[in-house]
This record gives sequence, structure tokens and C-alpha cells, in this order.
Amino acid sequence: MYRYIIRRLIQMVPLLIGISILVFLLVHLSPGDPIRMLLGEDATEEDVERLNAIYGFDLPLHIQYFRWLSNALRGNLGVSIRQGIPVTTLIFERMGATLELAIVSVIIAILLGIPLGIVAAVKRGSVWDYLSMIVALLGVSTPSFWLALMLLSHVALKVEFLPMFGRDGSVFKGLWILVTQFRADELLTGLRYVLLPAFSIGASMMAIITRLTRSSLLEVLGKDYIRTARAKGLGDRIVVLKHALRNALLPVITIVGIQFGAMLGGAVVTETVFAWPGVGRLIVNAISQRDFPIIQGGVLMMAIIFTMVNLAVDLSYALVNPRIRYD
Amino acid sequence: MRRQLSWLLVVALMLGLTSMALAQSDTLVIGSGAEAIGLDPRLETDVPSFERINVIMEPLVKFDVDMNLVPCLATDWSFSDDALTLTFQLREGVTWHDGEPFTAADVKYTFDWVLDPANAAPNRGLYADVDKIEVVDDNVVSFHLSKPYSFLLNNIARISVVPKHHGDREDFRQKPIGTGPYSLVSWTRDDRMVLKANDNYWGGKPKMPNLVFRTIPEDSTRLLAFEAGEIDIFQGGVVPHEIQRLEEDARYVVQRAPGTGYNYLGFNTKVGALSNVRVRQAMSHLINREGIVSRILNGIGSPGIGPIPKALPWFNPDVPRYEYSPDKAEALLKEAGYGPGDIKLRLFTNENPTRMRIAEILQFEAQRVGIEVEVFIEEWGAYLSRIQETDDFDIFILGWSGQLDPDRAMIRQFHTDGANNYGKYSNKHLDTLLDHGRTIPPDSQESIDIYGLAQEIVVREVPYGFINYAEEVGLHHTYIKNWTVHPYAAGAWQDVHLMVKEK
Repeated sequence: MYRYIIRRLIQMVPLLIGISILVFLLVHLSPGDPIRMLLGEDATEEDVERLNAIYGFDLPLHIQYFRWLSNALRGNLGVSIRQGIPVTTLIFERMGATLELAIVSVIIAILLGIPLGIVAAVKRGSVWDYLSMIVALLGVSTPSFWLALMLLSHVALKVEFLPMFGRDGSVFKGLWILVTQFRADELLTGLRYVLLPAFSIGASMMAIITRLTRSSLLEVLGKDYIRTARAKGLGDRIVVLKHALRNALLPVITIVGIQFGAMLGGAVVTETVFAWPGVGRLIVNAISQRDFPIIQGGVLMMAIIFTMVNLAVDLSYALVNPRIRYD
Repeated sequence: MRRQLSWLLVVALMLGLTSMALAQSDTLVIGSGAEAIGLDPRLETDVPSFERINVIMEPLVKFDVDMNLVPCLATDWSFSDDALTLTFQLREGVTWHDGEPFTAADVKYTFDWVLDPANAAPNRGLYADVDKIEVVDDNVVSFHLSKPYSFLLNNIARISVVPKHHGDREDFRQKPIGTGPYSLVSWTRDDRMVLKANDNYWGGKPKMPNLVFRTIPEDSTRLLAFEAGEIDIFQGGVVPHEIQRLEEDARYVVQRAPGTGYNYLGFNTKVGALSNVRVRQAMSHLINREGIVSRILNGIGSPGIGPIPKALPWFNPDVPRYEYSPDKAEALLKEAGYGPGDIKLRLFTNENPTRMRIAEILQFEAQRVGIEVEVFIEEWGAYLSRIQETDDFDIFILGWSGQLDPDRAMIRQFHTDGANNYGKYSNKHLDTLLDHGRTIPPDSQESIDIYGLAQEIVVREVPYGFINYAEEVGLHHTYIKNWTVHPYAAGAWQDVHLMVKEK
């Protein structure tokens, strides 16, 4: 197990270097000059040259890359050209918001999606099945920005408990306070703000989980060992939840992992609609301003997180299905 | 245990319900469409940054809502007879938020810093003709110029004064102090900026103890948050097709004022058919300005006429107008010797939806008179590079904002050596007028006449096809008093200390 993890971590290195080279080239070879965008309309050629020298943009590309890489290896992702703030600061101050949104939306998606999928599979062909599938179809086909706007104008505007935008408090910190100090105010504040954005992202994921759970569970329920289990006289509940579901969840875990990883890159549209201060908005703004250090640093961080999540997903297979072992 | 826990949750829930997100009565909440890049007036160039800077820090003089220059940190000013020295009498008894007195040394420090090439301040070009800044005494400061520049005062109004004893602090850009009505308490980027009243403000104690800027990038969300009462007021980015409904609603006030910007078609005047002035005039006749304003802009703005905003005294209404007329366009093309199918043009724009629709309409109109226009849509950075660094285009769509004086509104764009003369337009007579205009007093009739003539030349020769003037729209609840929409968005909150919430 540990050897497997170490092997996977070592495999990550060339992957991350490859990604960083790709991003570096994309950023530097696409048109658009960060210094000109910084200096604005009045820039003189002298000013442009001087600033290019300060940021090292006048050096050959490969030297610029190795400079950046050697700094990055020491944990220094550079300083934002536009804001003059270290990239790591800019990313980490938003990471909490992004993580919170991603985790809460995954939880919402799982809590709604798996039960719906189970009901649909067990009561196959019944009204419940059709209802679940209609909900899933709606979830998949509703664009998240539209859902977000509908939630705002039809739910948040009417329910005073739910704010329209922004973020306040923190769900994680709130949980910690609830456990240690037995106070729920921070958690509630956090939840009030995160609920709608998380639901609008989670809806499509919930739909995918519902469908996948249903089809996967149906397949498993047709297997011989399930018939054996029933023949032993086990109750329906035990057969479905204990024997069938664990095996049926493998593809669901894969999808959840991939989607979760993607969400950590920032759900830009949802972040924008709900004015959620996350990483996605930071990187997208940086792209339009050609703030190279933020783009490079941001994408590298996302790549690291994404590969880590992938690893975690692979490891979790072993937890769900004991037949899978990593040596 | 389980029952206890659920009771606890219910109690906590009720506590949570009482602390709603609604704006409190002692706090003014301002919505904003974009986050500030930073809070150092020497370094920022964007409106969202200056909207916030201008409540914390103040310039020597400022523009009031009628675009007149009025005293702020300076009470009086005068140009010497040779127009080479501008002297300010500073307001006495003004203190920084930390209690230190504001003096002429702060003024000198601020502008010296901007002028120092080593700092590469993006706004240095505004003060390029300033040779030396002299502290006469604590309350008098003089700007000495290397050559006469009449609009220096307008440019000085653009930058607030920075405290000398804090200006070199590493984190000044994130935690500035100033002389303004509010001081910064905290700033969570992309979310909120919290400020508290400066009770010692020279203009009187601010009426509202707390001020919060909330950043809400999506226009529809900002409007919904406004209707839900979570923000009190905002200027800019009001969803156009909602304005009529909001105007009819007694709970809200919509304020509108002509802005200081405009959108235009830029022509490459050096290559192909567009080097012929008649072809450019024909193109200008193909712009359906009324249609664009009413259908694409939903009535926000007005048909474009020339390069100077209507709000400025130099605006010349008597220039030639290019009414929408395919017939006239066709006649002009024939005069220039072009028949249907002879002209092929490449039009560039960025991904801005309004500009994309304008491009489509123009393409359609041009086709009717036999001009083939191919539309290219590019990402903003790439687009700007193309326009600024190459001449690889025939037509582009862009806009100018913050046109506060006729010199800045024309010399960069239309002078042969202008830094932003992307279409390489050149007219010796116009160059002479623009060079002369910046040396004579701005409040003289001669100034009005010179720029009036300059506008006429530009409009007649069409280096730009003017599409529409911008309009500023502000929206607030009826309980907000003492606020007027500002034509120059950066100044929207400069008199925030007078505002009250009556509910």
C-alpha cells in the first residue's frame, strides 16, 4: 500500500513538470502583453522595456521557465504583476472558500443522488423510478448559471434566511466551534451562505450520481451472489444496502472524484453569479489581465490537487471493495 | 442526548435567523461590479480601485457632478502668467487618519514618486511636463512645468494625495491611510471592504458610521441583492432592460447622467479603401446610431457625435452629423470610385456582447451597399495587442472612458504622434490646433474655439466612426438621501460622508 502511494507520488513529478511547461508556453506564446496591460494606454516604450526587464520577460523563454521552476520548487510562485501580492497568498486566501463550496456541493450531491438512485433501481419501472429519472434528467440538462439565477430570484429573494451573494463565516470552522465550544452560530452562518451556490453546482453532479447508482445497482442486483443472498433468506434492506450497494458504488466513486477535482479548479460561473470569493474567479481574471504568475501558479496548484484527488479515489476503491489491493 | 442536540440546533437556528444579512441601519452598503486591484492611487488605473480609493484618500481638486473642478485638499490655485507654474493653497487643519497633519510635503512626495521613472507608475504620462515640485511652505505647493500645459489641473484631480510617512510602507497598497471621510478597517478581496467613519473629517463628521463595499461581478445578482435589501446603492452595471421597471417602482430611485466615455469604430486610415476619406464617411453613414442605442443598449446612452463628451464645456454640437443612410453611403462610395464588391474589410472586436452585436449589424449594413465585412472576434488581451502593436486590421471597435478634458480626449487619439493613434491618422492642421490648445487657459473662449474646430476636423475626416456616448446609471433605495450620480464613475462616492439612510 505505502509502496504504491510512493510510486504514484513519484509518477506525479513528470506529469506536473509537463503541465507546467505546457501552461508556461500557452501563457507566453499567446498574444497579449502583461506589461502593456499594466501600464495602460499612456505607456512609453521605455517604461515597457524597463518593466519587462524587472519581471525578466526580456530573457529567453527557457531561462524564464527554469527561473520560475526553481522558485516554484522552493515554494515561491512569484508575485502578481497587477496586484503586487505573492501568488501563494492570493491562492491560499481563496482556497478555503473553494474547498468549502466543492465539499458541500459533493455532500449535497451524494446525499440526494445515492438514495434517489437506490430507490429508482429497487423500484424499477415504478412511479418512483420515473420520478427519480426525471429529476436526474433535469439536473443534467439545467445549465448551472441558469439554475443559480433561478435559485436567486425564486428562493433567496423570498427566503430571508438565505442571503443573495457572498460568503460569511466558514462551515469547517463552524463545525470545529460546534464540537469544541458547543456553539452553532458560525456553522449556521457558513451554511446559509454556501447552501445555494453548493446546490446549484451539486445539482448536475447529483443527477449523474443518481443515474450511475441506478444502472450500476441494477447490474449488481442481477448477479448470482445476490440471488444467493436472497436465497439465504436475507431481508431486502440488507441485500441491497449491504451486499449490492458496496459493489455498485465503485463507478460512482470514480465520477465523484473526477468531478470533485474539477470543482477545486473553481466553479467559475457559479462563483461569479453568487459573488463567491473562490480560486476560479482569481484565475479567470488573471487570464484576461495576462497576470502570468497567477495563471502559472494557479494552474500548477490545481494540477497538484487534481492528481492528489485522483490518488485518493484509487485508494478508496480498496476501502469499498476488499478484493482490490494495492501492493 | 439526541433530543438535546436537536433542541440545541433549533435554538442556534433561531439565533442565526435574528442576525440576517440585511444591511444594518448604521451601515451603508455599496455594491460594485469588480474588485479593486489595489488602493494606491499612484499605481492603479481602473475605476473600481478609484471608487474605493476616493473615499479613503483625496485629491487636491476634484470634479463635482457637473464636471466642474472644485476645491478638495487645495482651497485655491492659480497659474502664473507664463503658464509655467501652478500654485496650490492647501486646506489648513487637515489630518491623516493617524492624526498626523497633512502638509505640502505630502503633495510633493506623491507626485515626485509618480514622476520618478524608477517607479514605473502607470499614470506618469499625466504629469510628463512637470519639471519640479516646490514646497513653498507647509500650506503652499507649486508645480513648475517645462512647457505650458493648461490641463495639468484636470490631471491632478485624477490622483489622490498619499501620506509621506506611510507611502513607502510595503503593504500601503493593501492598507492605505488617507485624509478622506472613511478609513479602512478590513479588506477581503473579491468579497468585501469594510470602512469606518473618520470623525475628524475636515468636511464634517460622516453621517453613516460604517461603510461597506461588496463586490458582486454578475449584474443580475447585484440587482437581486439590491432588491432583497442586502445592498443600498450602486452605480454602473444596472441591467438595462430592468431600468424601466425600476424607474416605475416607488421603492427605488434610478439616476441617470451623461457619462465621460464613448464607443467608436476605429479605421486604419493608411491602407486600402479606408485611406480614402469618402469611404470612411460612407462607413459612418452606415452606423445606425439610434437603432443601436435603443435596441442593443436598451436606451442607455445616446448617439455618438464626436470625441468630446456632452458633459464638458468644449463639446461642439455644430459638427457635421452622419445620419444613418445607405443611400448617402452608396453615393459617397461611387464618388470615391468604388462599386459593389470592390471593398473587402476585416473588422475586429473582443468578446464583448454589445460590440459583437454592433459588428454584426455593421456587417449587414455594409453588405447592403456592396462592402464585404468579415468579422473577427478575439480574446481581450490578444485583441488589444493587435490594435496597439500592429496595423493588421481595417476596422476595430473600442471605447474610451474618463474623457475629462479636450486635450486628453484628442491629442493621444488624433495627433500624428499620438500614443493611441492606432489608425495612423494624420492631419497637420489638426496637429497644430491640438499642440496650441494645451498651452492656453482652459476657461478662455479661445480654448473653446480651438477645440470646437478640432472636433469639426475629426468628425469631417472620420478617423473614428462615433457610435454612442456612454451614460452613467445609479440605483438606490428611496431611503438613501444626498447622493447624485456622477458622470465620472471613479468619483461616484467622493461625497459619501453626506449620505444618509432614513429608515
